[in-house]
Amino acid sequence: MKTRIAFGCIAMMFVLALPTNAGGKEQIQSYFSNAAGKVKATNNPAEKRAILNESIQTMSNALNKVESSGLISQEDRAGILQFKKNLQEKQDELAGTNGYLRVSDDQLNAFSDYVVQDMEQADLVISISLVALILIIILIVLMIK
Amino acid sequence: MRGTHIRSFKGAPYSMLFASVRSAALIVLLSSCSPNLPVQRAAQQADVLAPQYSIVCVIHGDNDYLYHDTSGHEYNADEEVLEGTKRIAQQNPQADVFIFHQMPRRHFLFFFPLHDGEFYYYRNGLLIASESYWRDQGRSRFGSEVELYRRFCADNQREMVNLFLYYGHEIPEIDGAHYDASYPDRTFTVHDLADGLKGFTHDSLKFDLLVLSTCFGGTPNTIGTLGPFARTIIASPDNLHLSYFDLQSLERLDLNLRDGNVPAFAKRFAHQAFNRLTGDIQTAVSVAVYDVDRVQEYIRSVDDMYNDTLAGLKGRTRASPAAIEHCDCAELPAYVLPSITNGVDIFYRPARFGRSKHKQNHSGWECWRDKGLQGTNSRTTESNLK
Repeated sequence: MKTRIAFGCIAMMFVLALPTNAGGKEQIQSYFSNAAGKVKATNNPAEKRAILNESIQTMSNALNKVESSGLISQEDRAGILQFKKNLQEKQDELAGTNGYLRVSDDQLNAFSDYVVQDMEQADLVISISLVALILIIILIVLMIK
Repeated sequence: MRGTHIRSFKGAPYSMLFASVRSAALIVLLSSCSPNLPVQRAAQQADVLAPQYSIVCVIHGDNDYLYHDTSGHEYNADEEVLEGTKRIAQQNPQADVFIFHQMPRRHFLFFFPLHDGEFYYYRNGLLIASESYWRDQGRSRFGSEVELYRRFCADNQREMVNLFLYYGHEIPEIDGAHYDASYPDRTFTVHDLADGLKGFTHDSLKFDLLVLSTCFGGTPNTIGTLGPFARTIIASPDNLHLSYFDLQSLERLDLNLRDGNVPAFAKRFAHQAFNRLTGDIQTAVSVAVYDVDRVQEYIRSVDDMYNDTLAGLKGRTRASPAAIEHCDCAELPAYVLPSITNGVDIFYRPARFGRSKHKQNHSGWECWRDKGLQGTNSRTTESNLK
């Protein structure tokens, strides 16, 4: 039993070490950068659109789960709400809904860069605490697998 | 046996002499391998040319500075700027360059704290000194940096063209906690930067050019607070991507700034930075040049109004970040005054996507507003600008 607990603790340390060292934000940025890489790797506009939409939706789902978990503070809740709103705007523009003109097929690579760069420079993620970020990252990892 | 002993005893002075010669040769050999020697040579050569340019660069690296290029390669913005400033230091044969890299708190073997600052001093293109230091944890945010600067700065400071560069995240106008990831309770605001500038300028000298490579640097409050310490300021009123303002214009100041016309140089710097950013960046790009004397009238006109807004924001920024946002001052009717364009040169391109992609102009001044007011104010401003 003690051995199991010890192994469990070590495994948890490894899981938490990466996001903690990086402040948690880097994993979220890398997540969108990887998605942009996949968008550029395919020539099919429908696939590009699907990759972008799925990556944004997965992040939104993770944010919803963390928001409803009851483990986060009021400040985190406000930060997550803002983050979700930002992602919704991206999805709307991608699909051409809610007053947006649909992103054209030949603009999808540029749009994927826009998503990455907007995440990197916005203070959206900065207003979310490390604990909430770690929860988001763990959920993203679980959802992708 | 005895004879041998006597012979060896007689030979002792010779042995000692040989040992001394060997030791001296070893010392010379080792010292020629030591990293200090080039610095000593550099110091001797550096005395030959009196520097005409002084560049002080503070690079903040104690937070998340990761960004990706369009190929997906990862970069740390602070490390990229550090390499860039070292390069400009080496390529300026008539400059004093002081580089301060503010780094995250680290530990050796989990317990032993390591220095959280690095300092490099170049003169005439050669590295004169480099050392690690502790960032000031007292009241003064830049105490350690100012102390190092004063130790090495030249006597003829007043005859030189003085430049100050700050590369980092948006400097808060209020509150200012969480700026350093390692010291989240420690606050940093534009007033702290102003105090630092006061230390660097010996209370009287002004920097000829201050480059503020941060997001949202072009607010009436920020320019007004830093204005007493600079004649010309370059800043980004809108968001600024972490690839920052390009440093290339600062290479070979003896050629690029030969005429000593700093305001004209500032416009060339801003234009070059703008061109470089718009090449790769899909988000908004804005680079503004402020003639500090000429913008005073506008800053004074909106000062009370802006301070009232800041007072209202206190405590709100972290509790309800979704409720407020930055915006072009020209989108708020009360800020659209005849003097709004005085002394400001702005290079602007809107984001290629998003709600603001059709915004064609930027006043060069950034303000705050409640998010709910976005639609009505945008329409009002368009009619005002027309």
